[in-house]
Amino acid sequence: MNIFNSRYVLERVAKNTAVHIFLMAAAAACLLPLFWMIRSSLMSNATIFTDQALFPHEFNAGNYATAWVRGNFSVYFLNSVLYTVSVVAGIVMIASLAAFAFSRLRFPGRDVLFYMFVAAMMIPLPGSFVPLFVMMSKLHLTNSPLGYILCMINVGLPLSILLLKTFFDKMPQDLEDAARIDGCSRVQILWHVALPLARPAIAVIVMYNTLNVWNEFILANLLLNDKSLMPLQTGLMAFAGTHQVDYPVLMAGLTITAIPVVAVYVFMQKHIVKELWTGVLVG
Amino acid sequence: MTFRMKMLLPVICGLMLLAVSGCGSPVKPVDQIEVWHWMTDRHDVLEQLAKQYEQETGIKVKLELFAPSDAYTQKIIAAAQANVLPDIYGILDKKSIVAAFIKAGFVMDLTPAYQANNGAWEQSLFAKALETTRFAEGNASKVPPGFYGVPIDTSSIQMVYNKNLLKKAGIAKPPATFDEFILDIEALRRVGVTPFVSGFGEMWLLDCFASNYAFNIMGEQKVMQTLRGEVPYTDPDWIKVLTIFKTLRDKKAFIEGIVTKGNKYSEQDFALERAAFSFNGWWCVNVYKGMNPGLSYGVVPLPAMASPFPLKSWGGAGSWFVVNNTSRNKDKAVRFLQWLTAKEQQVFLSEKTLNLPANREAIRMIPPVLGDFAKAMDNMTHPTIWPVNEDPLVIEAFDKGLQAIIIGEKSPESVAQDVQAVKARQMAKAKK
Repeated sequence: MNIFNSRYVLERVAKNTAVHIFLMAAAAACLLPLFWMIRSSLMSNATIFTDQALFPHEFNAGNYATAWVRGNFSVYFLNSVLYTVSVVAGIVMIASLAAFAFSRLRFPGRDVLFYMFVAAMMIPLPGSFVPLFVMMSKLHLTNSPLGYILCMINVGLPLSILLLKTFFDKMPQDLEDAARIDGCSRVQILWHVALPLARPAIAVIVMYNTLNVWNEFILANLLLNDKSLMPLQTGLMAFAGTHQVDYPVLMAGLTITAIPVVAVYVFMQKHIVKELWTGVLVG
Repeated sequence: MTFRMKMLLPVICGLMLLAVSGCGSPVKPVDQIEVWHWMTDRHDVLEQLAKQYEQETGIKVKLELFAPSDAYTQKIIAAAQANVLPDIYGILDKKSIVAAFIKAGFVMDLTPAYQANNGAWEQSLFAKALETTRFAEGNASKVPPGFYGVPIDTSSIQMVYNKNLLKKAGIAKPPATFDEFILDIEALRRVGVTPFVSGFGEMWLLDCFASNYAFNIMGEQKVMQTLRGEVPYTDPDWIKVLTIFKTLRDKKAFIEGIVTKGNKYSEQDFALERAAFSFNGWWCVNVYKGMNPGLSYGVVPLPAMASPFPLKSWGGAGSWFVVNNTSRNKDKAVRFLQWLTAKEQQVFLSEKTLNLPANREAIRMIPPVLGDFAKAMDNMTHPTIWPVNEDPLVIEAFDKGLQAIIIGEKSPESVAQDVQAVKARQMAKAKK
């Protein structure tokens, strides 16, 4: 009996150890680039290629101030916040209305319209640059924050609609019927019943689109001209010249730009897990 | 109406107001020139010059930076389609694309401006730099002959050497001939110094190195005859070009892993004194300054083979602008570019950004290392100004063959046969 017990304990310890080693390796693989970015941001141009130590021998925290000033981050940071909040709010609002309509309403051409939205996901963004620019130019929406916000909402809509529609499709019909008996209109059903249940999906949409908008700069470069309108990622380009890169300052800039995204990720991750369980229980 | 709906209404109204404000037609001031560029490293200095120009003339120059260069290229193509190009811009693409812009009427012919005042502007700039912006009589793109661009700097690719490492090996001066180069390589190996590094993992740099020696060994005419298919790659002169790489390999000149090395890594190796010689472009002055400000190095042309033909280096125009032919400010744009390429502004640009000036007179007033890069300016060449260019598949076969020689996988003779086979196939295809 003792032999069996000890074998069982040994097997369990061995399994746990293997799993933990694997998870630690995976975590290290994810965290190492972040650590290396922060490490490099504290070095100088002279030491970044010579000092191979894990922790630099000389710290140069001034790179952060240099990045902030040279990259004009004070302006770009606010722009990025404005774009991210507006685009994410716009996507959540439009996608929830559209997904609810595709899921719960019966109207001619519903499926064709839905598949057109889904098909839009297959078109790579650079492939639509020229027609998009020409259209925005004709609408006088180039070099305007609104033009950029509308385009970014358009970019995020297909996947968001698909995610929410899938969620609304699974919502029991009884819930909708009960709400109707209580006198709810369709908009009220969406607002009071469907959206609270769809919080996990909305959390995913918010997180995905926040990352997407925060890290975007190609479309901004295309549609915007004035430096005062550019997002944060454009500021990083100041440190990467045609033939040379100011690596320590670039890394400091990257660290600054990564902080809000990591914060949103950490915050939303907790929210998703919490809401996922609530959703399961309610559903 | 619920409280939440009441809250939503102002948001929707606000969005609509924003939409209306975005729909106004943009009005461009007459006394303002708009320049779109991609040069992140030159932006601040160009801004300073723009301010100076405004003080001198009252004309505001609005500089807009779009980087990286791929994003810039897309922006320019999209802006051309929407007919909203700025007054001054650059076309970072093949000459055939430049020709398409010219034919569409988006590029001003600057020949009259260059030739005014007995060609004063033209003569102030390096002819090799101007050549890149020129379409010659009877060009393949069928563009009316003339100058269509303004070079604001020039380019040059030479050999750099580490003074301390050469001294360590007892080498008094850098090599002028290929034979001297081989002796120096042996001397460096004797004291344990790696002789040569370059970004030969990047095909274009390898191609450039080989092309320089091809001009040196057989002369320009025979190189062009090869490109036209009149001389085969199995010709003894081409075998000589390929044998240079075998000789360098046999003498252990190359740093380990040179055929997989990108130029950024080779720059790092040279800056950190891991090799005595490197083949690199003028931009390395900036790169080395950043990586190792105390690096003691000099610049020389590649050591030439004994031959009646001169060794030509790739170079000429660096960055160049065009003037939008549809702009109502095009004359003002030309005057600004004339001012920007004048001696004083070119010296300022060169000193601040460590780039090679396009103005001939400015060359005497720039940092010595840059001056050394510019010395060979009259002996420059570049595929963009050749009357005929090689098929990309042949170039690929040639460059891969060079890499195979460097790693000892193939002999110069077998590479020559392989390249000639690809050339024959491509020529047969072209005839069909």
